[in-house]
Amino acid sequence: MLKLTRRDIREISTGIAFLLPNIVGFLAFTTIPLAISLFMAFTDWNLEMHNMFQNQELRSVGFANFRKLFTDPDFMTYLGNTLFLMLGIPFGIAGSLCAALMLNNDFRCSRMRRVYGIVIVTVILIVSCSMLILAGAGSTAMTLLVCGIVGTILVLGSIGGQTVYRTLFYFPSFTAGVATYILWKKLYSPENGPINNVLQPVLDRISPLAGSMSLETAHFGGALLIVLMGIIYAYVVFRLISSWKNGETGSLSYCIALALLSIPLVCCQLWSRIPWGGALGLSLVTLGVLFSLLMFLTGRDYRCVCDCGMSNAIVLDGMVMVGLFICLGLSNVILALPTMASGDGLTAPKWISDYYWAKPSLMIMGFWAAIGSNNMLLYLAGLSGISQELYEAADIDGASPFQRFWNVTWPQLSNVTFFILVMSIMGGLQGGFETARTMTQGGPAGSTTTLAYYIYSEGFNSGRLGYASAVAWTLFILVFCVTLFNWKFGNRYTND
Amino acid sequence: MKFSFDGFRLLLVHVVLALVATAMVLPFTWMVLASLKKLQEIGLESWIPTVFQWENYRDVFTMKGVQFGRWYWNSILVAGWVTFLQVFTSSLAAFSFSRLKWKGRDMVFLLYLATMMLPSLVMMIPNYQNMISLGLVNTLQGLILPSAFSAFGTFLIRQFMMNIPSSLDEAAEIDGASKWQLYWTVILPLARPAIVTLTIFTFIGNYNSMFWPLVMIKSPELYTLPIGMLAFDSSQGQQTNLLMAAVTMSVIPMILIFLFMQKQLVKGIMLGGVKG
Repeated sequence: MLKLTRRDIREISTGIAFLLPNIVGFLAFTTIPLAISLFMAFTDWNLEMHNMFQNQELRSVGFANFRKLFTDPDFMTYLGNTLFLMLGIPFGIAGSLCAALMLNNDFRCSRMRRVYGIVIVTVILIVSCSMLILAGAGSTAMTLLVCGIVGTILVLGSIGGQTVYRTLFYFPSFTAGVATYILWKKLYSPENGPINNVLQPVLDRISPLAGSMSLETAHFGGALLIVLMGIIYAYVVFRLISSWKNGETGSLSYCIALALLSIPLVCCQLWSRIPWGGALGLSLVTLGVLFSLLMFLTGRDYRCVCDCGMSNAIVLDGMVMVGLFICLGLSNVILALPTMASGDGLTAPKWISDYYWAKPSLMIMGFWAAIGSNNMLLYLAGLSGISQELYEAADIDGASPFQRFWNVTWPQLSNVTFFILVMSIMGGLQGGFETARTMTQGGPAGSTTTLAYYIYSEGFNSGRLGYASAVAWTLFILVFCVTLFNWKFGNRYTND
Repeated sequence: MKFSFDGFRLLLVHVVLALVATAMVLPFTWMVLASLKKLQEIGLESWIPTVFQWENYRDVFTMKGVQFGRWYWNSILVAGWVTFLQVFTSSLAAFSFSRLKWKGRDMVFLLYLATMMLPSLVMMIPNYQNMISLGLVNTLQGLILPSAFSAFGTFLIRQFMMNIPSSLDEAAEIDGASKWQLYWTVILPLARPAIVTLTIFTFIGNYNSMFWPLVMIKSPELYTLPIGMLAFDSSQGQQTNLLMAAVTMSVIPMILIFLFMQKQLVKGIMLGGVKG
């Protein structure tokens, strides 16, 4: 039994007194609503029936809302949309890491050098600018404008170093909100939007070239890219197997890593225009997973089930997915080029008003904002925390720059990466509302409706609060799984 | 002058960084330039307006159905109040969690931490019902109140306060300071960096917040800037030049905060993120 002395009680009351303003609001606006929302998920609460004018009784419907949800094809589509948009996350993380690595350079140099640098840069800019104008790329004023901006940034950057670039990189994510979404909506506008104004002339030049390409060449190019994809994949599987053999990666991590790796291959099966590409990949993955399961079940190795290999393996997966998707996308584009160009030439995409382009458009915008986001700052902090001795040791061993990165920087950053990844996944699951509401209204034909937007439209547009709560709780459970995952594997790395 | 490999590499890095930075800046450049164009010039290939239409900015304020000044003021009012309340309640709670010793403290704090992971979407629907029963729907108070308490803010300030040496507390106690005096005169001033960071984050977050105002506010004179811009976009969005002028003006406060507060901001993110 807990015994409280008088002193304890006094201390507790002081503690609670300071906590009081926060905890009252906290109970009222977080804890109690949470309970109510769970209760609502099991009722048929509907604003049309249960409002102040038609005060009908609330009925409990048991699990009907959840049952409806899992048989609802819309819900599955929107869950799929949410997951699709989350595929942008590894791209964003890779971008942030690259930006941080470049910003981490030592930009300090003597004044003389700086002056020389500015002179060289100015000469390069003037030469390239005049060449562009002579070649007739766009209008002269536009060329001058862009070159002027690049030049100004270069000069500022060589004077201010890291701070200038960091400021400019961080800017889009800092201002992200309705204002920038409206701006991008205008940038994406299909007729005479600034992006298509630049893109269309370029496409016009390419299209005769693409039209003259034979179907065989296209097939060959596409197949080449698929083979490249296979090589990347084989390399990663090889790395995973070898690290599993060395005992760096536990069997569970190994299984999860392989299962995650199957995602792009499944996508490949779904989207690739070369049918055997996906089938090959799928059978490879199935074999791999079966093999590892067999090893796991026969008890060959379960020494280190949760281990340092975990975050590494998953992050490796993420990066590989980027490569695989780029290969897949490019091969598809190459295969489709001749047919597209043979009609009335290549036309610029309609971006957010096109069913197939809407999601990639949002991902491109997300990438633009994600490069310089908080993630970049976290990486910068992580980079400055790596001890210089490790690099010196690597130099003595004669490591190449790539080896330095892969064997020193990357493992040292793995905890930061893991933290960023988990946070991004949690954000991604709940995300997409603001962009959908501002730019696309969830359309065209529901292609950008995410779960968050679905909850909003069900709850506040259609008034089906009970059903919306059920969706919200399903989302909550998804997020909670990620949180659990984080607690299980992430704690010891991020809370040091 | 020697062209060493390292110097060349540095030049290359500079060029790549500058190109990426240009990609970051170009959309904003277009925004400003488009806001100075005539409406007929918007679709043209050239970004540069023939005549700079500065009166676009004035026209935004006098447009029919767009109470831009009013929205601006509402936004700043709401964000300001939320920030003030949140910083105040969070710093009190953080003080209790870090400087006072009482039984069950760490358990309560763990509960706080756990709720940080909750998706805010789950709370939106019941909170809306809450607001209906409190009669606060379609008022600015209804926007301010639910956001005034945050677990994240408490966490951020607590992390910082933990690092303030405890000898200060003892010294203050010997001088006969009460707990309130300890909080107000010793700990709070020392926790300034964390408080500044939280202030910036909360202000920007609420200045930009869209979901809750969208649900709560029905009458146009109570709109905050984000939902006001939405209404502007859906009713008169074809007037791209005026829309862009409005967008530019709504971004300006953020730019100012960003430029003046950058140092604290960067420090704060590293403080909150790496330890979190």
